[in-house]
Amino acid sequence: MVSPLVFWIVAGITIIAALAVVNLTNLIHSALWLIVAFVGVAITYLILEAEFLAAVQIIVYAGAIAILIVFGVMLTRRGDIRESNLFNNYRLAGGLISLGLMATIVTMVVKTQWAIDVAAVPANSVGLLAQNLLGQFVIPFEIAAMLLLVALVGAIIIAKEVRD
Amino acid sequence: MEQYLALGIFLVVALVFGVVVLVVAGLVRPKKPSPEKLSTYECGLETQGPTWVQFKISYFMYALVFLIFDVETIFLYPWAVQFQKFGIFAFVEMIIFIGILVVGLWYAWKEGALEWL
Amino acid sequence: MQIQLADFALMMPEIATAILAIGLLIVGLVVPREQAKGISFLTVAGLVGIWLLNFLYWHENASLFGGIYIVDPYTVFFRFLFLTAAIIVALAAKDYVNTLERNQGEFYALLVAATLGMMILAGAGDLVTLYIGLELMTITFVILVGYQKKEAKSSEAGVKYVILGAMSSAVLLYGLSLVFGFTGTTIIADMVPRLTLSGASPLLLLGIVFLVAGFGFKVSAVPFHMWSPDIYEGAPTPVTAFLAVASKAAGLAAFVRVFLIALPELQPYWITIVVVLTAITVVVGNLIAIPQSNIKRMLAFSSVAQAGYILFGLVAFSSLGVGALLFHSILYVFANIGAFAVAIVVKNSTGSDEIKDYSGLAQTSPFLAAVMLLCLLSLAGIPPVAGFVSKFYLFMAVIEKGMVWLAFVGIMMSMVSVYYYLIVAKAMYLGTPNREAKPISVSASTQIALVICLVAVIFFGVYPTPLLDLAMNVGYSFFPF
Repeated sequence: MVSPLVFWIVAGITIIAALAVVNLTNLIHSALWLIVAFVGVAITYLILEAEFLAAVQIIVYAGAIAILIVFGVMLTRRGDIRESNLFNNYRLAGGLISLGLMATIVTMVVKTQWAIDVAAVPANSVGLLAQNLLGQFVIPFEIAAMLLLVALVGAIIIAKEVRD
Repeated sequence: MEQYLALGIFLVVALVFGVVVLVVAGLVRPKKPSPEKLSTYECGLETQGPTWVQFKISYFMYALVFLIFDVETIFLYPWAVQFQKFGIFAFVEMIIFIGILVVGLWYAWKEGALEWL
Repeated sequence: MQIQLADFALMMPEIATAILAIGLLIVGLVVPREQAKGISFLTVAGLVGIWLLNFLYWHENASLFGGIYIVDPYTVFFRFLFLTAAIIVALAAKDYVNTLERNQGEFYALLVAATLGMMILAGAGDLVTLYIGLELMTITFVILVGYQKKEAKSSEAGVKYVILGAMSSAVLLYGLSLVFGFTGTTIIADMVPRLTLSGASPLLLLGIVFLVAGFGFKVSAVPFHMWSPDIYEGAPTPVTAFLAVASKAAGLAAFVRVFLIALPELQPYWITIVVVLTAITVVVGNLIAIPQSNIKRMLAFSSVAQAGYILFGLVAFSSLGVGALLFHSILYVFANIGAFAVAIVVKNSTGSDEIKDYSGLAQTSPFLAAVMLLCLLSLAGIPPVAGFVSKFYLFMAVIEKGMVWLAFVGIMMSMVSVYYYLIVAKAMYLGTPNREAKPISVSASTQIALVICLVAVIFFGVYPTPLLDLAMNVGYSFFPF
């Protein structure tokens, strides 16, 4: 068991990073803060003893997706990078709506009777994952390949136009 | 979970070390700035024009192809861990999965996403 | 869990669709660009083959891979619906695709991949499969919507769709995760005993609200419809036709399956939200359609309203409701794609989507005008064309449950809808054609698409019994209450 304090610290850092992503005016800085937020989520997975997911989170999100976003930003034409993320006109309204939604969810969470599962996390979670992925969940697994294929083809179709 | 304690301590030490070094250096170093010292590269060329230029699309294309195969690796890993327990069936499943993505690679190749020009 | 190879046999239509999508992509790579025109023929032939193959599965009622995927008459019915829509769109899209400078083969491959996503969505028996199918469909549509990158409107529509689609997916996923958290299973059929009225906790209800919002976006129910007019207008018209009809039906298929199979016990809670949603969808969709001057925007709002009518079937919470919903969905496919097909032809010829440019179409191209008129009448629900019977059963289904007011709202709004549909008819039949307007030549494949829609709209209007019985039987076997 990890002390709840660790969770609260990690959650706090993640939220601060997420707020920075939204509020900073330099898109590159936003992208870098996004990596911090991704790592925070990865640590949360670790606390939940989902090590494989944590590794995936770091490799795919903090690694590949962050790079892709930075390249995407560098690719777009714009004036000054220091003022590239200025679409913050609805900060007040957006903040209020988010707070309202959060208040609703928190109220619901507090009022809910939770059925807590005390069973230990299986030791070989990756093995179990593989058994499910290649056993019962074979259809979503193969459809995921189709999804990746379509995403790749689509991104190339769109990006190619930019090149010419 | 305990094995991650060492990792956490390492992280904290690394962070603290970096901060301490900078603070101490800031306190003890002599401060005599000159234009020469403040230039971006003390021993190099001055930058010409704005530094934030539009990147080549090829960077993006590579990152994209990389991402797709990164995700594929994620799927490969659990399969590889359990490989000896699985029969021929799981092997065929994985071959189909990889086959579908190889079509994607072929497409990327043919469409010139892997070329630098 | 041991995999039964026989389970794959029941999924042959899905597997064949996947192979077709990949095959088209490969053909597009291998064949030189000048010969790429044959790909449209290949697409249609392949889809028709799968359509015929699907007949083998009418009497199946199986749960595959321990409930991950379900092949029952409901799934088979929706397979037919998506394949029919894909075939007609592929036929009608040929002229548009020929105007593209490149990526012609990919267009059809993506069209087929989207169809695959829809079929998975309709057949999914668990939440993971459902979500993957949904994403496959949504991501494919993002690419298709932004296909005309040279046109700013199309790119804008693509960006809007990717952002709003991602957001709605996130909301839906949050709802799904809450439902999963409370039931401990992702298999829809296994949830029923764990989701009882007495055990409903506040957070679970919040999860259901998120599910309604997420699915509401996919079927573009008010107030989650804001994306549809802009995206329908900006997207290439064949894509709009497919998006308005098939993706909506796919979202609906999953919506109905999750709510009627997993959450029937909680019906007293969600029914209120869905009833309100349905009523405002019908009212707002029809009222905003009136002032539209662009035919694609008008059809977009009309399709919002149609989503409202179709949701009557869910609100009714009965086998009659499900049957009427299925019946109306399939007629909506023919009527809406027919109307859009005419819009494609007119756009290709005159370059305009404005209703005023349809002026005098009946004199220059009487066939196109006739198809448009009958399809619009079917959407409005005027006898003897097809839409009347299905709307009648939808209204019947809610009246049977004592919601006479809702049926009344539906009937009132149907009358309102006649007005804006007839604006187009008036322009076509009473307006005078432009002086330089020439008869619009229609290619053979588009003609086939138009004839299919026309014949379906008339035939099922005059003689609806076989299809109606079929839909009702499917509805009864799916939800026998």
